[in-house]
Amino acid sequence: MLNRRMIFIYVLMPILLFLVFFFSLTYGLSGISLIDALSALFNVGDENIITIIRSIRLKRIIMVCVTGAVLGGSGCVFQAILKNPLADPFTLGISGGAALGASIAFISGFASVASFFTPLFAFFGAALSVFTVYIFGFKGKFDSNIMILSGVIVSYTFSSVVMLMFALSQSTGVQQSFMWLTGNFSTFDERLMPFVVTIGVVGLVILSLSGNIIDVISLGREKSEALGNNIEKNIKIIFLITSLLIASVVSVCGIIGFVGLMIPHIMRNFVGTRSMLLIPASVFGGALFLLLCDTLSKIVFAPVVIPSGVITSVLGGVFFVFLLLRAKKSSI
Amino acid sequence: MIQIKNIYAGYFGREVLKNVSFDVKQKDFFGIIGKNGAGKSTLLKIFSNLLKSYKGDVFIDNKNLESFKSKELAKRLSFLPQYSDMSMPFSVFEFVMFARFPYMNMFKFPSKNDFKAVEKAMDFLNITNLSERKITELSGGEKQKVLIAQVLAQETDIIIFDEPTSHLDIGSQNNILKLLSDLNEKHNKTIVLTLHDLNAAGEFCNKLLLLEDGFVCRCGTPEEVLNYKDIERVYNTTVIVKTNPISNRPYVIPVSKIN
Repeated sequence: MLNRRMIFIYVLMPILLFLVFFFSLTYGLSGISLIDALSALFNVGDENIITIIRSIRLKRIIMVCVTGAVLGGSGCVFQAILKNPLADPFTLGISGGAALGASIAFISGFASVASFFTPLFAFFGAALSVFTVYIFGFKGKFDSNIMILSGVIVSYTFSSVVMLMFALSQSTGVQQSFMWLTGNFSTFDERLMPFVVTIGVVGLVILSLSGNIIDVISLGREKSEALGNNIEKNIKIIFLITSLLIASVVSVCGIIGFVGLMIPHIMRNFVGTRSMLLIPASVFGGALFLLLCDTLSKIVFAPVVIPSGVITSVLGGVFFVFLLLRAKKSSI
Repeated sequence: MIQIKNIYAGYFGREVLKNVSFDVKQKDFFGIIGKNGAGKSTLLKIFSNLLKSYKGDVFIDNKNLESFKSKELAKRLSFLPQYSDMSMPFSVFEFVMFARFPYMNMFKFPSKNDFKAVEKAMDFLNITNLSERKITELSGGEKQKVLIAQVLAQETDIIIFDEPTSHLDIGSQNNILKLLSDLNEKHNKTIVLTLHDLNAAGEFCNKLLLLEDGFVCRCGTPEEVLNYKDIERVYNTTVIVKTNPISNRPYVIPVSKIN
């Protein structure tokens, strides 16, 4: 039984991912056939096509995959640790901090100075909110409710500061901030890609291997300590690694909602609740889902590319309706 | 096996245990009884190393509790708390497998030994047929069996239970206690548990500890501990103690009216 699920996660999902990967390569503002796209990957063929494929699309697709993987995986981790099925990567306040950082970059004008200021500021903002939640949440013994509460407070506080800035500011920075906030992959600084991809891959491998520890934490303090587990140390490490992953991805691409919330629920139907299976499943599932959304965002209103965050939000809404209907049916 | 010496413990300035000392010998079926708030749970938490701030010493197999590493202790002693969180939809098999955590390298998958231990534990509890069911869908009695299978799979010599039967009906309670008896007699496990039901305590345990306001009121055989003078004083009520004609163990009868 374990083997069947393992095959699903480590064979079937990557294959699906590759398929969508190549499908996405061929879609964009300019129609390119699959053969041309594939040969462009290997530097063969028309110069222009090679540039489009390698410099633009390939990088975007890789970024989308890494972002989706991080969001799916970290959403799964937070849901397990906070023991809350409504938790997602942004429950613990990172979105507020990142939004604050990015807005400051846009409104102060730094963003126009150099393109890497926005993600830099956003990262610092995210780090600030993580630090704040860390201080509040880990002050005494770890309590998932206190952590969630701290995250909500930090998120709302930072968001209201952002709103204040918007109200007081006259510059075009406000509009730019809004665009950034919805999450999109059209504009991001390529130089940051190696960092994000490396952090993402390493972090996700660590989290995927930590599935057992995460599950034991969710058994409750007494039981997990009785099983020889140092719960305080483990939670801190996992929280920091996960937050780093989310912050690095959000700084570059903005805030993309619902992926971290939905994917663990969907994947749970395929592989069960054990984190050892669910985390890697959510990693692949998140990458696959976000890649599909991103491809859709290029197709649906072509030639206009709508932000991927919009697509995920729409699908998220539909998903919630579906969940509600299913819950109502089972409670009758 | 377990030696408790001069324990003083409490929470936030309130002293709960005062100078508690007693021994639990190997293969004991040791019951701890007393009023609500007498300190029973606190005591269990201390010698399961869940509560670390206390005065006094606890020795497990002549080794001080403080010198144990947590994983090492988890292989000697397992603990079933009074309330367990079973809100995540794991399957029964997955849930019992968590007990093997002290034996597993954190990055490896369960070994053959781990699978065997889980299967043996579930077989002993007769819940092999529940293997793939979600723990969130089980009845109270089934959940209790799953929890006991979980501590069993941990394969320790000493098993500690905090009120394992307080919320069960008399049939389920007897079944569980008989199971624990089997564990004690046939599998040589040392069992320590807290109980509210004095009669169950008298019937199944070979040694009892009666806690009164954090002090040790009496420690010894059920016949010694379940005497009407101590019971009446500790619980502030009227009782008669008789002997069970079949097992020769004492049982405690409440008295509602005195004519």
